[in-house]
Amino acid sequence: MKALVIVGHGSHLNEDSSLPVYEHAARIRERFGDEYEEVVECFWKEEPSMRHVLDTVESEDVSVVPAFISEGYFTQQVIPRELGLAGPVTRKDGKTIRYAGPLGTYQGMADVILERAEDLLGDKEVPPGRRALVLLGHGTDLNKSSGGVIYLNAGRIRERGLYDLVEVGFLDQDPQIGAVVENLEAENVVLIPVFIAEGWHTRETIPEDLGLTGEVTRRGSKTIFYGAPVGTHPSMAPLIAARAREAERETEIAQSPR
Amino acid sequence: MPKAPARPSGTPNVAAASREAFAAWVDEDPDGRVFGQILIRSASPAGYYLCHEDDARVASLELYDDPRAAREIAKLTGAGEYRPLKSSPNLRRGWELRVEDARGLAAAMDYLYPAGVVHWYLYREGRLEITDYRENAARQSGIYKRIQRLSDEGVQNAARACCEDAVCLKKTLWNVDAGTPLEMDRGNGEIPCPEPCSVFVSFARRVRLFEREKRRDLDDAGLSPSEREDLAALVEAAAGGAGGIKLAREAEFEEPLNERRLRYRKLTLLPKLRPEESPKE
Ligand code: SF4
Repeated sequence: MKALVIVGHGSHLNEDSSLPVYEHAARIRERFGDEYEEVVECFWKEEPSMRHVLDTVESEDVSVVPAFISEGYFTQQVIPRELGLAGPVTRKDGKTIRYAGPLGTYQGMADVILERAEDLLGDKEVPPGRRALVLLGHGTDLNKSSGGVIYLNAGRIRERGLYDLVEVGFLDQDPQIGAVVENLEAENVVLIPVFIAEGWHTRETIPEDLGLTGEVTRRGSKTIFYGAPVGTHPSMAPLIAARAREAERETEIAQSPR
Repeated sequence: MPKAPARPSGTPNVAAASREAFAAWVDEDPDGRVFGQILIRSASPAGYYLCHEDDARVASLELYDDPRAAREIAKLTGAGEYRPLKSSPNLRRGWELRVEDARGLAAAMDYLYPAGVVHWYLYREGRLEITDYRENAARQSGIYKRIQRLSDEGVQNAARACCEDAVCLKKTLWNVDAGTPLEMDRGNGEIPCPEPCSVFVSFARRVRLFEREKRRDLDDAGLSPSEREDLAALVEAAAGGAGGIKLAREAEFEEPLNERRLRYRKLTLLPKLRPEESPKE
């Protein structure tokens, strides 16, 4: 039997953080139930805790996928520590546990971002003129890879030539998102938060700081389209499953006899 | 990657064994079993009915037949508040969930009381590994690292305020450390708590902040700034008359009117305010 364990941050205050994890888990059960007989959610701040979730898993073959955008404190320290993982492959209590990387660096992420942008524009009238896609990251001075993931995806999307411009902006590091949107030379700005879940930032601080009035804000010659976070998109579910499969493949190669 | 610490051990298929043992335990009693706030009764010829224990005799319950509906049932209180701690005694009423078999029962229970069934099983088998407070604290990092410095007395009071049956139905099995048992009513429920949970860790952090402030900033009456703040907030809220006091969300420990925070005040502030009533040690 095979299990897929999705690790989310979770929250003590509301369901914003855990909801996409539950929804993606449900989608994976539906679509990939033959492959993963168990699909289990666990969290840092909700139950079941990472600390205890493996006891509830029956399968011997377990893949753990963190529902996090970038490599950092959680994926490198907290998750391995709480789940008791020793590396990419851990054997304990009769289980083989494979630990996959975060979602943001995975190739398929760029596709989900583009899908999110298409969904946003799909039913709307887009004024003529240049189109810019802006990837919005949290960013932090402590963690370089947090910004790196945003640049990585911007680069991958730029290569496809679908938008006149592809830019990045951050909440907590330069370039600041407000200045990026302000200075963009494009009539249409499509702003996609590369976050895993809705939350205080996506609902309040970002719209407030950028003076957004909803999904569509017209300001001067600019129209700003503001999308939901990429992490809540239904296509994250197949991405999570693909991430797990990749971890299984990678660790098989690493272990196969030379 | 940091070294993996020892954690509760499970042998292969502890999950499967616990599922079967739990179903058998329910089957044994014709009146059904209460687990947390759930009454579970076996149905004939097969399957199980689950409802809130207070709804045992209520006829018009909203019916569900998908074990995964349990997640929605467990999410919000009757008043629509988010439930960060599923073992809090605030499960909503008014529903009945029918599941087909032991597997469905376990799936539902895993949403109602996550990991509750497997811990119940391991505890009965004498195999549930307990992680005491100090061991849990030693593992913490980031903003929770400071809970390592919480005093033994602070841990005791935090546990009384956060873990007793009035606020959490789990039976608290962990201790401060191997030589320092918790001095509290550990609870009577069926669901064991083998280790401080994340809500407790967050509360312990708040209590540690109270402890730090105490030494430095007591006023002439011996009250700390946060104690004065809580008293002021209480007076202000209560002066609003009936309905004036609206408690903060369950795990919002930065708010003065949080139930666990007020329970902690009852243990630590009330003796200061009414010294004549406090029991002599
Ligand atoms: S640590 Fe306390 S509050 Fe948390 S689950 Fe255990 S008994 Fe309940």
